[in-house]
Amino acid sequence: MNALLLSCQFIPLLGFLLVFLSDRNEKKIAAISFWCSHALGLCLAGLLALWAGAGFPGYEYEWFTLYEAGEYRFPVLFYLDRVGAVYMFCVWAIFSVIVKYCRVYLHREAGYKRFFLTIFAFVFGLNMVILSGSIDMLFAGWEIVGIASFLLIAFYRHRVQPVRNALRAYTIYRFCDIGLLLGSWMSHLLFHESQHFSQLANLFDNPAMPPAGYASLLLLSFLILIAASGKSAQFPFCFWLPRAMEGPTPSSAIFYGALSVHLGVFLLLRTTPIWGYHYFTRFIVFSIGLLSVIIAAISEKTQSNIKGQIAYASITQVGFMFIELALGLETLVLIHFLGNAFLRCYQLLVSPSIVAHLLRVEGAVDTDFYIKNGSSRFQFLPASIRDTLPEVLQNTLYVFSLQEGYLKLIVRAVLWSPLKRLGATINTMNPRLKLLSACAVFVLFWLPVAAIGINSKYLAIPIAVFMVLASLSAFSQKHSPFGVWNAIGLSSILAGVAVWFLNPDAWFDVAIFTSGIVPAWILGLAVLAALLKNENFADTPFAYRAMAETQPKLSLLLFLSFLGLVGFPISPAFLGEDLLLSHASNHAPWFALPITIAFVINGIAAARVFQRLCMGRPSELNVAAEDMALEVKHTVETSQPHTA
Amino acid sequence: MADREHNQFVSNSSNETAENSKFDLDVSIEHIAHWLPSQGPIKDFIHHNTLHAVQNYPFHEGVAIAAKIFGARSYLPLEDYQERYRQGRIDDDALDWAIEHSGCVPQNREKLRKRLFAEDANSHYPPVSLANHGIRNAWLTRLEVDLNSLVHPILFRLLGNFLDQGISRWSLPKNGEHFWDCVLRLAQNSLLPLYPLNEASVHGLLSQTPDQVIKACLERIVGDETLYEQYLLELLLAHPGWAGMVRIIEQNSKSLLARREISLKEMLAVELVLELAFLHKKKGAQFPGIAALPRHDSTPLLKNGTLKVKIPLHLRVWHEAMEWSLHKELLAGLKANASPAPRPQPEAQALFCIDDRECSLRRYLEEINPAIETFGAAGFFGIDFLYQGLDDAYPVAQCPNIIVPKHLIKEQGSKPKADNKTGKLSNMHFTAHSMFRGWLYTQTLGLGYAVRMAWNVFRPGSKLPEIRTLSEVESHSHLHLVRESDEPTEDGYLLGFSFTEMADRVGGLLRNIGLTKNFAPTVVIVAHGSSSVNNPHFAAYDCGACSGKPGAPNARAFAWMANNNLVRAILAERGIDIPDETRFVAALHNTSRDEITYFDPHLLEEHPVPGLHVFQQSMKKALQRNARERCRWFELGPQSQSNEEAHDHVMERATSIFEPRPEYNHSNNLYAIVGRRDLTRGLFMDRRAFLHSYDPATDTQGDIMARILSAVIPVCGGINLEYLFSRIDNSVYGAGTKLPHNVIGLLGVANGVEGDLRTGLPSQMVEVHEPARLLLVVDQTREILDKTIAKLGPLKEWLDNEWVRFVACDPNSRELSLYSVNGWEAVELSGNYQVPQASHSEQIIPGKTKTIPVHQLTRRHA
Repeated sequence: MNALLLSCQFIPLLGFLLVFLSDRNEKKIAAISFWCSHALGLCLAGLLALWAGAGFPGYEYEWFTLYEAGEYRFPVLFYLDRVGAVYMFCVWAIFSVIVKYCRVYLHREAGYKRFFLTIFAFVFGLNMVILSGSIDMLFAGWEIVGIASFLLIAFYRHRVQPVRNALRAYTIYRFCDIGLLLGSWMSHLLFHESQHFSQLANLFDNPAMPPAGYASLLLLSFLILIAASGKSAQFPFCFWLPRAMEGPTPSSAIFYGALSVHLGVFLLLRTTPIWGYHYFTRFIVFSIGLLSVIIAAISEKTQSNIKGQIAYASITQVGFMFIELALGLETLVLIHFLGNAFLRCYQLLVSPSIVAHLLRVEGAVDTDFYIKNGSSRFQFLPASIRDTLPEVLQNTLYVFSLQEGYLKLIVRAVLWSPLKRLGATINTMNPRLKLLSACAVFVLFWLPVAAIGINSKYLAIPIAVFMVLASLSAFSQKHSPFGVWNAIGLSSILAGVAVWFLNPDAWFDVAIFTSGIVPAWILGLAVLAALLKNENFADTPFAYRAMAETQPKLSLLLFLSFLGLVGFPISPAFLGEDLLLSHASNHAPWFALPITIAFVINGIAAARVFQRLCMGRPSELNVAAEDMALEVKHTVETSQPHTA
Repeated sequence: MADREHNQFVSNSSNETAENSKFDLDVSIEHIAHWLPSQGPIKDFIHHNTLHAVQNYPFHEGVAIAAKIFGARSYLPLEDYQERYRQGRIDDDALDWAIEHSGCVPQNREKLRKRLFAEDANSHYPPVSLANHGIRNAWLTRLEVDLNSLVHPILFRLLGNFLDQGISRWSLPKNGEHFWDCVLRLAQNSLLPLYPLNEASVHGLLSQTPDQVIKACLERIVGDETLYEQYLLELLLAHPGWAGMVRIIEQNSKSLLARREISLKEMLAVELVLELAFLHKKKGAQFPGIAALPRHDSTPLLKNGTLKVKIPLHLRVWHEAMEWSLHKELLAGLKANASPAPRPQPEAQALFCIDDRECSLRRYLEEINPAIETFGAAGFFGIDFLYQGLDDAYPVAQCPNIIVPKHLIKEQGSKPKADNKTGKLSNMHFTAHSMFRGWLYTQTLGLGYAVRMAWNVFRPGSKLPEIRTLSEVESHSHLHLVRESDEPTEDGYLLGFSFTEMADRVGGLLRNIGLTKNFAPTVVIVAHGSSSVNNPHFAAYDCGACSGKPGAPNARAFAWMANNNLVRAILAERGIDIPDETRFVAALHNTSRDEITYFDPHLLEEHPVPGLHVFQQSMKKALQRNARERCRWFELGPQSQSNEEAHDHVMERATSIFEPRPEYNHSNNLYAIVGRRDLTRGLFMDRRAFLHSYDPATDTQGDIMARILSAVIPVCGGINLEYLFSRIDNSVYGAGTKLPHNVIGLLGVANGVEGDLRTGLPSQMVEVHEPARLLLVVDQTREILDKTIAKLGPLKEWLDNEWVRFVACDPNSRELSLYSVNGWEAVELSGNYQVPQASHSEQIIPGKTKTIPVHQLTRRHA
């Protein structure tokens, strides 16, 4: 069973590597994906059969311990129960359908290999999320899913709009990572050794004695909820889902129709004991669900494009799932999840049929299609509302629906604008002045420390502040990619220094963290220098430079450097991030907040640099000027219209 | 140097504009609107020259101007041409020919030749353009406001909801409301703000007229009157799809089913107000206007209506050399095929559409049964009408869009209506969006979709139940063709034709194609259509001469009219004597499935057609061979020798939901030949030719030719140029790849939810196309053609400016002459080129995956 479980986890990774190593031969890639989806199916069938034979237990398997130091352990832990089994089945079913579908659908597409690579990475991450036995593992999978999602939305990198929407989805994902990162830190803090999902339920067995205080449980539930509602596009994050429908239709189907959008529900299912412990948190879940249902259902009415309509319909159903969860109807949620995933996936796949359907089928048979039947159906608001509400309220309802509940504006105003403004202020300051004031503040803190002999760990406070400020500066720096990269590096290193101040014994852990960050940083600087050799960046800071096309190798390196800087689970920095957080939890709980914020913002800033440089469409402006001798030049009158 | 610089003022109004610089909004809108794409709602797809706006310039100049405006590529990448040269698809003769015709002075030719073979991966990139690097760029580079990304989503949502034809549940406009009024209603009479129009500084503007609003906004945003027109143009070029759609609807409100009142001016007013509101929100009241911001030196300016463009000579030469190589293949073939074998008296005749997809089917039919004679004509068969079938919600035009039909034909039938109530279970997924019903459905039926999805993906071919294929179109009805009263309908149409009108149309077509005697006992009129699933561009796959519809009603109408005794009597008076034993039969060729349906079986029962059975047998074989010939283009198709396997494969393609290429449509199109079939019978033309029948002997004044060309040039030329430009720059002129397309309001497709409408053809339709201009060969003497050309009117510019290549083939001597604006030039074909020969078509195809040069077929029987 353990072997089967491991193979379920790693077959997608194997597929990823095989596709990566193969050339751009479609037939080979298709064969690899065919075998992978079948092998995965076999392993899964075996696993589920064994598991069912054992009587559907909650099964846990600890493979090995990745890292252990003192109290801290990072075990590679798997867990399979009813919820995981249902999700695994659904993932496999949709994955194999999509792979078969795309073999023909993506035929001759320029990004064939890129697409399959991303899909495999996605499934790998998804399986990791589903099979993970602890929040740490889950977070690793969560990150992989996020990056895969980012790459698939920006699949058509020639066009500005997919690129922009990819960044939008990614920022929401990153923001929700705050919830998950802090959540994993709090679970370290609250449950120590027992943060395994398998033991969560037992912890809460004794109703009189919760494993932690109400306040901290409430906080933890709140963090988990942020992560869940971000990923599942629930209130107040509904708006990103329809805008993420930029990749090829099957990728939208698998991500935003079927699987990715239900991950929030999964997270809530996994952590039911934590947030279900108290009525108040249940009520919050219920309210989020209800608000999402209302807003999404109203927004759906005025979606004039088919994919947006399906997206809002899906959000509505996920909202219902939140409500069902709050009411404790877990089995119903699982059935609902399966139904919704398959239905939306199918709807998206056949969405191009809508023209033929409406014109040839609905127009043909004797229905109330508006064209035939004197327009009884297709009007400004349904008759019941038109007859009862006054004009101004009718317009108000329509505007509310058109603006999709104002969520996009609210989120931007509350979350991003203040950060941007702060960062912009920092960037406008003179660098010398910055250095000077930084020293001054530091000295101000250092003096009492040195003079009176207070614990030197208070020095971490100014450092933490500088760290956040450096991140913000990266976030709103638009004119120099080097500036961004340096600010991110500075911020990360300050994080390490702060932890070192907090706990001088942790130098080894800090070293692990920096061993991930520093090479990525230096690599990034070198690549940037090579990429921008012949460019005057400041001239057109907002142009997309399309270097993934003109300089593919360097772009790949820049991408790797980006992954390293954001602590992606391939770099030691990922483990380092977790370690730093755990030290924070042991020594100074307040420190968790700034460090998480810094990590998250760094990720967004780095992603933006990557996009500006590597995506877009090449045009003469961004290739070196060349000899134009053999050209016929014309000056042509254009204002006279041609009327033929 | 080859560096010719000529300042070309094509019109003499330039000085006027310079002096008379007072900005006139209406004139400016007229000027800039002609740059917008003119592609209507997606339900009727009409091919046209993508660059019709510059058709009054010579081809290469026009392309260069368009590139400068739209930011598009003008030619293929240099290495593509070089690769074709290495493969032998461009030969040295053609290269010499192209250099000679390039206008390059002799002393520079060596340098040019060197440049042709230089390594250079960049020179085909689009030039610095108005659309991408114009004055509006200053918002981003100077003020750091990305106006497009702020304004577009809001504007597109408003436009999409306003124009929506039935996707959303609640529509935006009330009856007959104008766009501007509609936006005002939402902005002014709602408790919640319509972001960003709640900005206090623009609120006062909203009570003015669009004219005033545009001027006020331009004054604030731009500030310099000489830049107004350029600013507006750049505004529209940032979203050509929506702007073009608005323009089309403004000019022809009938192009929508649910009528909408909108104009470009209203759209501009809304967009400018949105821009102003965002600028105020982001930058406060004190931002500088565009005219006040410093500009980059390379920013193109439209001042005084002039624009400097460059034509990269090396790419132009390569392109012409490629075209000439391909064109020469046909010309040599025509010469080689000078003495065709005599053919027997026809037992059956078949009239096909001019469409290039029928080229191979005709060849196979003749190969299989030499006693079948085939003809080609534009696929509406000369009968122009609006058609409303039993199952159609609204009448559609069934003729090229240059003709405005006056007659309405309805289908009538006695079949009982199936009582189909709403919400058929199998269509549930199109409706299950709403809240509670959706919840119920997903809970109960959602799982069923796992099965359905798996079935559709793993067992395609078992067709989707909801969309009937063309072959299943009910054929038990009849068309109501005879006019009973001269009273026009409400919309001003005449219901049906009088017998004289019928005779006019039937006789006209028969004369066009030169079929006025020697009628065979069986004459089959073969229309065509295409069936596909999961394909919003389905209309682009149907008959181009029927405005993107299947041509079945036209074929049925033609057969009925030609069979009618009264019509025949009138025709006999006019000299066309159709014998009594001759019967006309209507049929429909499904070009994606390679199937054929014969219509009106009840009429066939009344008047049996004995020869039809033999014809059907030959047709069946021909369709299978045709399917195999098509399969050589499908990389994932069967590469075997079996015709049956190939036929099964094309059937499966047309019914797979995951197949973005049900067929490759016109992607082979290259030649158009107007002339006797003897000219081309016995040539293997690889499905590349539009074939129109014509008898040069009956047309001494060139009138018939002028009539034919007035349909052939816009229809075939339009198809050819739309393919050409969509292939050369698929992301600007074309619709990009189909894969991320999202259907918006039944109007068109966009990328993603907030994208601009995409015009042109998706890459899956054009990817194997060789982007060469159409070679139009006509079977007539130069003297008569000179008369014809004089009668062409505005279409003459297609020939003069070389948007199609025009070659005359002398009916007697087969001498070839190339037309240009300076006169005819005799075509010299060097003796090196030998037309390849083969005994029959199936000998040529195996193993070939690229286009095949014209072959001469030596054996006529299979």
